[in-house]
Amino acid sequence: MSEQLKRIVYTAAVFISLLLAWEYATTNGYLKPYRFPAPSQIAKGFVELSVVGFPRGLTIWVHVQTTVERIAQGYIAAILLAIPLGFLIGRVPILEKLTNPLIVFGRSIATLSLLPLVIVWFGTGELTKVILIAYGCFWTMISNVIAGVKYVDKGLINAARVFGVKGAALYWTVILPAALPRIFAGARMALGVGFMVIVGAEMIGTIEGLGALIMEARTFYRSEVTIVGMLIIGVIGFLISSGLARMEKVLVPWDTGLEDVRR
Amino acid sequence: MTNFETNAESAYIEFRNVGKRFGSQDNGFIVLEDINIGIKRNEFVSIVGRSGCGKTTLLNIAAGLVAASSGETVIAGKKVDGPGQGQGVVFQQHALFPWLTAAGNIEFGCRSSNLSKAEKKQLVQQLLELIGLAHAANSYPRELSGGMQQRVAIARALAMDPEILVMDEPFGALDELTRIELQDELLRIWEVKKKTVLFVTHSINEALVLSDRIIVLAPHPLGVHMDIEVTLPRPRDRTTPQFNALYKQIWEGLSS
Repeated sequence: MSEQLKRIVYTAAVFISLLLAWEYATTNGYLKPYRFPAPSQIAKGFVELSVVGFPRGLTIWVHVQTTVERIAQGYIAAILLAIPLGFLIGRVPILEKLTNPLIVFGRSIATLSLLPLVIVWFGTGELTKVILIAYGCFWTMISNVIAGVKYVDKGLINAARVFGVKGAALYWTVILPAALPRIFAGARMALGVGFMVIVGAEMIGTIEGLGALIMEARTFYRSEVTIVGMLIIGVIGFLISSGLARMEKVLVPWDTGLEDVRR
Repeated sequence: MTNFETNAESAYIEFRNVGKRFGSQDNGFIVLEDINIGIKRNEFVSIVGRSGCGKTTLLNIAAGLVAASSGETVIAGKKVDGPGQGQGVVFQQHALFPWLTAAGNIEFGCRSSNLSKAEKKQLVQQLLELIGLAHAANSYPRELSGGMQQRVAIARALAMDPEILVMDEPFGALDELTRIELQDELLRIWEVKKKTVLFVTHSINEALVLSDRIIVLAPHPLGVHMDIEVTLPRPRDRTTPQFNALYKQIWEGLSS
């Protein structure tokens, strides 16, 4: 316990010294404030963002809410589509063979390179942003669902058949639980993709959202606001990811550490 | 190839001219040909043979997991046409469901039975006690040792109250000491539950310790090569001259 405490203290010490050095370098002219805004300036920026907002009236909470809503919509749409499709493809070998090149292809196209096309198709409204996020999340998710379903241990299926399980019941009793750990891994990876896509997706046609905030701040050389936006994206991603990990421990208890199982 | 007479009156499991070919007619290969074996009720029969002689395939045919290409398999007068006809199976890799606890896995075994919920629970408890793992009821398979996992797998197979127990090298992946322990345990369970057991192994020693009868399958020529009754009293001493003589006889049969 004290070992752990020591480590935390040391880590904090290193972190704080770095911040102090940074602060010192900026206030004494070694670093340009618009390139490397001092930590104190970033803190001020955060306060300004949460009280006044940037642009005025759009506080950080509005940006966060907008971004989280967009990601949630695209992410959930991708998952709802990828799970049943992935099950179907994973269980039908001929479908898997036929769609595999398409999936590798789709996954390889950087989502943001679609931005111009998606704007032409769907305009610059909310739909475009949600579709881009959904697109990015979808390929990651479906690859994992297919793999999870396809590589279910044949021995487990045989074991279930021995006890008279067949047809649709096999899906519920064996294939779904056996594929669940992989599906969860996919869900977490896809969420990461969603956060990667969001900044680009919010570059166009909006001043709301963390991505838009970051781009707007750039226009006005408000680097400290950009950094606040970045940090907040990191924090949200971290929080949601730990939430998913916790959910995974409840839903897939056999796949986590023994301590958690026993508790 | 020798043809063994099977007595229809006393045979409980009967393989009649069973053959299995994998692949197409002209481009496949034959793993089993004209297998005729009759097994009496409550008999403990081991099938030994070199890798690739089709012993696992024969077992899977009996379990209903693989369809024979020719001939038929009859259990208690009923032709086998799929799993779930009273064949309990224990696999080489325990094949326990990782998402179910030991108790959950055993309960899975009696899912198709007509028992009430309380009766199932009681049965699971009894089986856990039978295999000496009552304390591990709520453990997941990954928390159990190899020997414990295979015990749970046996209990799961017993939970469906099968007429016959089909076991495919169930102790093959275990270390020597655990293996001996489980052999003794299996015999004890067999004495209590009285099942007809079809047991595949590549260990002559294991077959000799366990079986009433040992069938040696050979790849060249394909088929039943030897059929030996083992009348040594149980529990068997693995070091007596009679034991060793039988060992030698089977070993020579396998290597000829």
